[in-house]
Amino acid sequence: MLYLQILINGVLLGGLYSCIAVGFSLVWGVLNIINLLHGSLMILGAYAAFFAHAAWGIHPFLFAPVAGLLLFLVGLALQAGIVNRVMGAPVLITLTLTFGLNLMLDNAMIVAFKADYRKVILDPPLGLLELGNLLVPLDRLYVMALALLLVAGLYAVLRFTSVGRAIVAVRMDRDAAALMGVEVKRIYALTFAAGAFMAGAAGSLMSVIFPISPLTSNAFLGKAFVICVLGGLGSTPGVMIGGILLGVLESFGTLWLGPDFSTTIAFVLLLALLVFRPSGLMGRKGFE
Amino acid sequence: MSAPLLEIGGLEAGYGDVQVLWGVDLAVASGSIVCLIGSNGAGKSTLLRAVSGLVPAAAGQIRFGGEDITHARPSRIVAAGLVHVPEGRRLFAGMSVRDNLLMGAYKRGDGRAAVRRDLERVLALFPRLAERSRQDAVTLSGGEQQMCAIGRGLMAAPRLLMIDELSLGLSPRLVEELCSALVGIRDAGVTVLLVEQDVMTALELADDGHVLQGGRVVLADTSARLAANPMVQQAYLGAVVAHP
Repeated sequence: MLYLQILINGVLLGGLYSCIAVGFSLVWGVLNIINLLHGSLMILGAYAAFFAHAAWGIHPFLFAPVAGLLLFLVGLALQAGIVNRVMGAPVLITLTLTFGLNLMLDNAMIVAFKADYRKVILDPPLGLLELGNLLVPLDRLYVMALALLLVAGLYAVLRFTSVGRAIVAVRMDRDAAALMGVEVKRIYALTFAAGAFMAGAAGSLMSVIFPISPLTSNAFLGKAFVICVLGGLGSTPGVMIGGILLGVLESFGTLWLGPDFSTTIAFVLLLALLVFRPSGLMGRKGFE
Repeated sequence: MSAPLLEIGGLEAGYGDVQVLWGVDLAVASGSIVCLIGSNGAGKSTLLRAVSGLVPAAAGQIRFGGEDITHARPSRIVAAGLVHVPEGRRLFAGMSVRDNLLMGAYKRGDGRAAVRRDLERVLALFPRLAERSRQDAVTLSGGEQQMCAIGRGLMAAPRLLMIDELSLGLSPRLVEELCSALVGIRDAGVTVLLVEQDVMTALELADDGHVLQGGRVVLADTSARLAANPMVQQAYLGAVVAHP
């Protein structure tokens, strides 16, 4: 029974993790940029949700698409103004750029919002669902459902729309996509912004269940990174499964080793995968 | 005779410091199949890449349907009806045959119905693609991949279809099948510019031909006359010419 409860906790957590990681994976796959800003963009979305809730009482669940749109615009501006200049540059350059932007954004948030932990307190709280001896916190359940809905939405856009196919095409073969008449630069901008949208929306959802602070942004970034390796780059279903897997592993890790070690487990797993299965559990070799 | 559909004058282009094209002059008449022959490194692929806007032109002019497209972006060139089927097929991995074909129609502005009609037309032209339309495009055989690449080009509703290395790596029987498809495509009103290393096949299929050598067009004539030309025979058809 205990294990089942831990499993449920993990899956609930994993839904949100998938939503955080899927935008990171998309940007990495299409632009070949490891966007170290991703965690900070998510925290920015969480702050937007926090203030919208504090000032106007807007429920963060409703605010998620708005936070997504706000971050979409931030993403467009970042891509057009800065990131576009390093497209195609060696990974060291792009990594340094996003690392620097991450530092700047994190510190700007510390200045603007202080480093204190804040949390959206829902009034009344959503409560618990009791299934026999099992407890399912409803806020987490809704967060998971909405997060997976966002992931499914992104998947559908990539799969079934003309713009989505163009994004996948650019990812697979930039020149061939250009020969189809795809404006590659526009697709880059759109993809980066879509990644930021997912981060912002995930941040808004996250504000209900986790405390918000600029200091936590890199922990979420690390999780996104591990999930991408777990799920394999470029596969949305892979990221979804990777996210849930990480959530479950963290839950059991917390049970067996104590909460201090949940992040350790993620990174040990990352190292093990990089050594034994670098293409990810679901990723196809040579897909890049 | 009416003005050529594609007209290239004094085109120079290359990659960085390496110049490949040294003043290419070439004209493609509307409604014909024109082949471009030449040895490896002569600049055939670079010429196609320059025409489709992937490689910037350093000098010269490219006119398509009377419009100057020398410095146009690839997307505008595709929208104008000039479509390039690249060497090596370059299908999108992980996407189905159908989605690959639909990618070809990315710039189409004439509505879903027209795209659907063309999709059916392409699948009728290459029935093997119809059988495999849900399959990942990279799981196709080489010949089927080439059909898919040509079909993807046709989905853009081109006026001129440029095909780079039609027959590379394909069996003679498949090449024959593709050639008869190209004749059908031409008869349907699409002009074809073909780059082909198999000179015999190219001259049999095409109405006109151009010989590219060292980044310049050194010969341009009807295919029949090119096939009879001693220089072409010696250099590309392996004929032994007796020396006096």
